Amino acid sequence: MSERLRIALTKGRLQDRSVELFERFGLDCAPIRDPGRRLVHAIPNYPLDAVLAKAPDVITYVEHGVCDLGIVGKDTILEKGGAFYEVLDLGFGVCRFALAVKEGGDFYGGYETRRVASKYPEVTRAFFETKGMDVDIIKIEGSVELAPILGLADAIVDIVETGATLKANGLQPIETVARVSARLIVNTASMKLYKGQIEDFIARCEAGLEDRT
Amino acid sequence: MNVTVNTPEGTRDRLFAECQERRQVQSRLTRLFRQRGFLEVSTPDTEFYDLFALSGSAIPQERMLKVGDVSGKICVMRPDSTTPIARVAATKLKALPLPQRLYYDQTVYRSNPAHNGGSREIPQCGVELIGALGRKADLEIIAAAVDALRACGAARFHVELGHAGFFRDLAGRLELDSQQAETARRLIEGKNFATLKNFLAPFAGRGACGALEQLSRLFGGPEVLDQAVRLAGPTPAVDYLRELYDELSAAGYGPYVRFDLGMVHQIDYYTGVVFRGYMEGAGEAVLSGGRYDDLVGVFGRDTQATGFAVDVDAVARTLPKTALPRLRTVIHYEPGYLAQALEAVDSRPAGTCELSPCRTLTSTRNLAREKGAQNIVIFDKDGERVEQL
Repeated sequence: MSERLRIALTKGRLQDRSVELFERFGLDCAPIRDPGRRLVHAIPNYPLDAVLAKAPDVITYVEHGVCDLGIVGKDTILEKGGAFYEVLDLGFGVCRFALAVKEGGDFYGGYETRRVASKYPEVTRAFFETKGMDVDIIKIEGSVELAPILGLADAIVDIVETGATLKANGLQPIETVARVSARLIVNTASMKLYKGQIEDFIARCEAGLEDRT
Repeated sequence: MNVTVNTPEGTRDRLFAECQERRQVQSRLTRLFRQRGFLEVSTPDTEFYDLFALSGSAIPQERMLKVGDVSGKICVMRPDSTTPIARVAATKLKALPLPQRLYYDQTVYRSNPAHNGGSREIPQCGVELIGALGRKADLEIIAAAVDALRACGAARFHVELGHAGFFRDLAGRLELDSQQAETARRLIEGKNFATLKNFLAPFAGRGACGALEQLSRLFGGPEVLDQAVRLAGPTPAVDYLRELYDELSAAGYGPYVRFDLGMVHQIDYYTGVVFRGYMEGAGEAVLSGGRYDDLVGVFGRDTQATGFAVDVDAVARTLPKTALPRLRTVIHYEPGYLAQALEAVDSRPAGTCELSPCRTLTSTRNLAREKGAQNIVIFDKDGERVEQL
């Protein structure tokens, strides 16, 4: 029985890298590269339909089973959680969550409860929970670096790639909270119902990843 | 004051066909359960929080819906039915000979994160076989699980078996401490292939490392059991699953039975065979169960138990929509003709006929047209006559 699998790709940079990976193992991704007005992109030479979504929505679609597969960053997985299988580390979209403080600041000194600003309150909460440390977490939607500059927070937890933005704003990363890269996730029921097809897809992705290295 | 007309998140009004579809699933399941000798029990919607918290329930505190109690104690809306039924089995049923076959048809309540579209009221039908250990008891329950999904009318479905003992065996051989075992368990449960491999790298070379690393990939048909033996050598858990499979196959259940040895959820709760049922069209397992030999003992009666629950809504959503009966006939009757009118309603198929509450025939005609009926049956001094619309 050959039914079409549906995959949700995170829009933007991860989408480009996903397409590169797919093309490396021979999928014809022209419909994704040139989407026109379509929202569902059928891969002509493999039983796969792709949709593009914002990162948290990728998880939502996979969790509810309307997409069988998804490609999403570990940052979103850590923040949003959910019930799905996380089968592959795709090795691209690499960055890290870091705790950053004002240069020269003594974050762990003293016994005042510290304030931490982040776009990722769940990641922040979990990190300080493992340390057994109470902090006040403030959710910021935009440029988190602003919060310590304005004196709203003592530190931030944010995605760091090069650290250039932090440095430019007088902040320095002092600790890695978690390493982040793109992951292939699978709906739990789809994994069981379409085992053969999904295993085939995973194996192709794995081979595609090895080709590159 | 403005009255709020919305229902709380995670709750819903169910209308007409949706009720009918849910009832249909419930009645098919409960008919099967009764046929197999299970007796219905029903437990309170609210119970003390401690009942679940202290008996090792796998449902985390934040997922339980709390309600106050006149006693000042914290109560919850029952988050599962197995715990209360274990309580009943250990107390109210103490005098009855074992085994006891019990079934339930009741709602469980779980609080969900905001805006995730999940329901906080989950109607479940399930069975518990209390006080029976061993192969025959497990076979009976697994066969009932397959038959339950079949009875619901599922087109493409299967029940997947695993065994809590297999993971424990491997983790024990690898001498993982409890925290490491929990990390491995979480990675296996999430089929987190790559991370699991990295996590186990320091243990490479120890006996069961390869098997543990492959555990999350060990799902599928009976060939999975051969793979498990190749990787881990003979183990009591896999031997047992093989015995079950042979007997289930001989009884014709083979095509509906598969395996997932990476099914390691609630590993402290389940003590033997665990299983889940999947139906095409449902994005998650629609049936879940297993052997939990330690739970009833928590309530003071040392005995074994196994059972499963079916998520009625999840099953109903995968089945074809049912059509509601259409209204055909409206009955108009003059004073003194109630008996004839009721007899006319009762003799027609349900839902196709109703009484008109109108005083005049003209009003009844208007009503019948508005409701899309095809004819009016009139009872008066001239007897019975039909008027086509």
